[in-house]
Amino acid sequence: MWKTILRRIILMIPQVIILSIFIFLLAQAMPGDPFTGLINPNMDPAVIEKMREAAGLNDPWHIQYIRWIGNAIHGDFGTSFLYKLPVAEIIGERALNTIWLSLLTVILTYLIALPLGLFAGRYQNSWFDKVVVVYNFFSFAVPIFIFALLTLFIFGYRLDWFPTTGSVSSDVVKGTTAYFFDKLHHITLPAISQAFLATAVTIQYLRSEVIDAKTQDFVRTARSKGVPTNKVFTRHIFRNASLPIASQLGYEITGLISGSVVIEKIFGYPGIGKLFIDSIVQRDYTVITALILILGIATLIGTLLSDIIMSIVDPRIRIQ
Amino acid sequence: MKKKQVLGMITVATMATLMLTACGGNQKADDKGKGNKETQTEDVSKMPIKVSNTKKAIKDGTLDVAIVTDSSFQGLLMPELSQDAIDSSIAGPMQQTLFATDKDFKMVDGGAADFKLDEDKKIATVTLRENLKWSDGEPVTSDDLVFPYEIIGDKDYTGVRYDERFRNIVGMEEYHEGKADTISGIKQVDDRTMTIEFKEVNPSLLQASGIWEAAAPKHALKDASIKDLASHDLMRKSPLSYGPYVVSKVVNGESIEYTPNKYYKEAFGEDPKLSKITITVVNPSSIVEALKAKKYDIALSMPTDNFPTYKDTEGYEMLGREEMSYTYLGFKMGKWDKDKKENVLDSNAKMSDKNLRQAMGYAINNDEVGQKFYNGLRRNATTLIPTVFKSYHDSDIKGYTQDKEKAKKLLKDAGYKDKDGDGFVEDKDGKKLTIKFASMSGGETAQPLADYYIQEWKDIGLNVELATGRLIDFQSFYDKLQNDDPGIDVYQGAWSTGMDPSPTGLYGRHAAFNMSRFVSEENDKLLEAIDSKDSFDSKKQKKAFSEWQEYAYKEAFVIPTLYRSEVLPVNKRVTDFDWKTTSYDVWAKVGVSDKERQ
Repeated sequence: MWKTILRRIILMIPQVIILSIFIFLLAQAMPGDPFTGLINPNMDPAVIEKMREAAGLNDPWHIQYIRWIGNAIHGDFGTSFLYKLPVAEIIGERALNTIWLSLLTVILTYLIALPLGLFAGRYQNSWFDKVVVVYNFFSFAVPIFIFALLTLFIFGYRLDWFPTTGSVSSDVVKGTTAYFFDKLHHITLPAISQAFLATAVTIQYLRSEVIDAKTQDFVRTARSKGVPTNKVFTRHIFRNASLPIASQLGYEITGLISGSVVIEKIFGYPGIGKLFIDSIVQRDYTVITALILILGIATLIGTLLSDIIMSIVDPRIRIQ
Repeated sequence: MKKKQVLGMITVATMATLMLTACGGNQKADDKGKGNKETQTEDVSKMPIKVSNTKKAIKDGTLDVAIVTDSSFQGLLMPELSQDAIDSSIAGPMQQTLFATDKDFKMVDGGAADFKLDEDKKIATVTLRENLKWSDGEPVTSDDLVFPYEIIGDKDYTGVRYDERFRNIVGMEEYHEGKADTISGIKQVDDRTMTIEFKEVNPSLLQASGIWEAAAPKHALKDASIKDLASHDLMRKSPLSYGPYVVSKVVNGESIEYTPNKYYKEAFGEDPKLSKITITVVNPSSIVEALKAKKYDIALSMPTDNFPTYKDTEGYEMLGREEMSYTYLGFKMGKWDKDKKENVLDSNAKMSDKNLRQAMGYAINNDEVGQKFYNGLRRNATTLIPTVFKSYHDSDIKGYTQDKEKAKKLLKDAGYKDKDGDGFVEDKDGKKLTIKFASMSGGETAQPLADYYIQEWKDIGLNVELATGRLIDFQSFYDKLQNDDPGIDVYQGAWSTGMDPSPTGLYGRHAAFNMSRFVSEENDKLLEAIDSKDSFDSKKQKKAFSEWQEYAYKEAFVIPTLYRSEVLPVNKRVTDFDWKTTSYDVWAKVGVSDKERQ
């Protein structure tokens, strides 16, 4: 087990290097740079050129790359052209916002999806199952931006139950319980609208796995031994049915920090997703490359975690 | 609310927005259909510029302001480093500029400082108002007047303000290169007075943006490193201000809160009227609904493309004004010579025939574009000096209005004839003529507008295609233009003019941003006249402006297409809010007449 993990981690090193070169080249290939369109015409082109030079944008790509990756290893991703702050500081601040939102989303998703999926599978074809299936179709079909706008419209503006923009009110003091609850109040609506749609996959998986497992030989064996139905479901079926869910868990962790562009835009929530889009639109290279690199590494770690979780849940796939 | 806006590029339309009101069901969809048929139009000149509420402001009122943008603000609150319009908007309540202006944006006395220029000696004198104090109680002194020049001129300065205005100061370049410890042309006469010696003087110096218009608190920042100024607390969290309000709290990228500056009264004679101002970032997709729910008193940077959806919002008054900007068609006719730093005309360029350019101008109907695409909030632009510069805009020039027969005749007379009968004219040598038109993406109108232009040009026999085959995003667009991409013959761009109407920075021989690359000796002469010493005489200045506008109209190296207007929804409880671009202390005066929004 430990050997496998170690092997995987060592394998990740070349993956990250190739990834970082790709990211860097792609970012370079984007037309324009942070100084395109930002400078005013009173400015001498020589001064602009000097700023480009100072930012190192005129060096050949491999020199820029080596400088960038060298600093990145030490946690220094450079300074944002736009915000004029260290990239790590900006990402750190935004990441915290995104993690709070994602965490609540994941919790809500499983709170909704687990019982619905399990019971729908257990009582297949009952009215409850039918309702769940309809809900499932609905959440599959509705685009997130429509749904998010609708919830914002109804619960934010019409009913006035939730704040409609931002991550915290301006009049609460950091560190107090009021601050915590205010933050929670701000993320509840975006989290609910995200979770409501995110449940689709999980419910679908669980339901069909449960239905599938019900007809398996080991379940029939358990039943014929006289195990009570409830126990059959909790002990035998649930564990098997949760396999595909477990495989998703690692990726959820990646999702925790990558955030959702759509949700963050609509709810005016300053997280990673919004930062990402803003920096692409304005060619804030240092932020773009740092973000993709971090997200790329997070994906690799997420995959690894998924595999580890899988091998814990399902002993059959433990590789020697 | 003088916008601290320098000349800059702006997108053709605001970013694409999905409006909440679009999901209002059938009823609304029907209404919308009807509206389109009848084409609701607005006349911004009939909209008020000042709130009509005449009630007295209550004590301890609070004002909630929305700033409509789909990105977070960067939060650089001091003007020395602030580099986008959103940051300067949210800093409005504290950043009272040094100088008040007249209707043509010329500096006049009565602001936080007075400005005098001795044209012969080339020396300007700036004198601070008496009793002016920073919000920490320290007096504003001539140290603070000089300090911005020391920041921006510093070799470690990280912002984008070190431009021609600074290099025109005697001794600035030596200081910038580190050869001198002080700027020899800037002298402190006494505690309240500074003089600046310039290398050259021209009438642009008298405009509000002619010299740096802010002071910086030297006593608080003297030990700070210029390189790290961007992350200083005084830049982002608690900047000092001599304006009416002072920042009390910043939530990064989301909102900013102001409380009154208690020292404001000592210099300006009255206290600010509100006990709190909060400015919050609101996404364009939900601002209309936010207004309907009466969440804000004022919505800054309100998008105009969906104006009909909010213009009748209950409880709000719509203020309107002309923007200091215009949209235009540019014709690529040459290249930028990097070594000589000048534009070079290519006489063989596809667009170098004046008749062809004029014909393209006569083919389109911009008033109709303004009505149909922009609900009348944009209208045909006649000259390159927008009407907002009342004394300089020449209203006798009619500009290009649609006349397709004339356009066809111009083409025919110039030798552009359809020889192979495919409906499109060939060039003078009988070769196929395909014109590549570049237009920016963004907003719902960008594509239909480009289609409309191409359609009209087809009508007069010109084969015009979209350069790259599709709309181009803002950054790529200007990247291609600045690098003279041979795949572009005609482009649709926009300029924000700032407060200095002089066009030299945009159309001069040595202007890198003269992206059509058109130059001529006549043009040089006319632009020189605008910037000459003679133009300190306002009659001569007006004449110089007129002559250049006339020349630009005839030569059609760029053709202005649309003047823009902007709209500001203000709740009816707001008092004394004057949205004129030239209003000096609008934040100091603004108040509310009720506890609740109406």
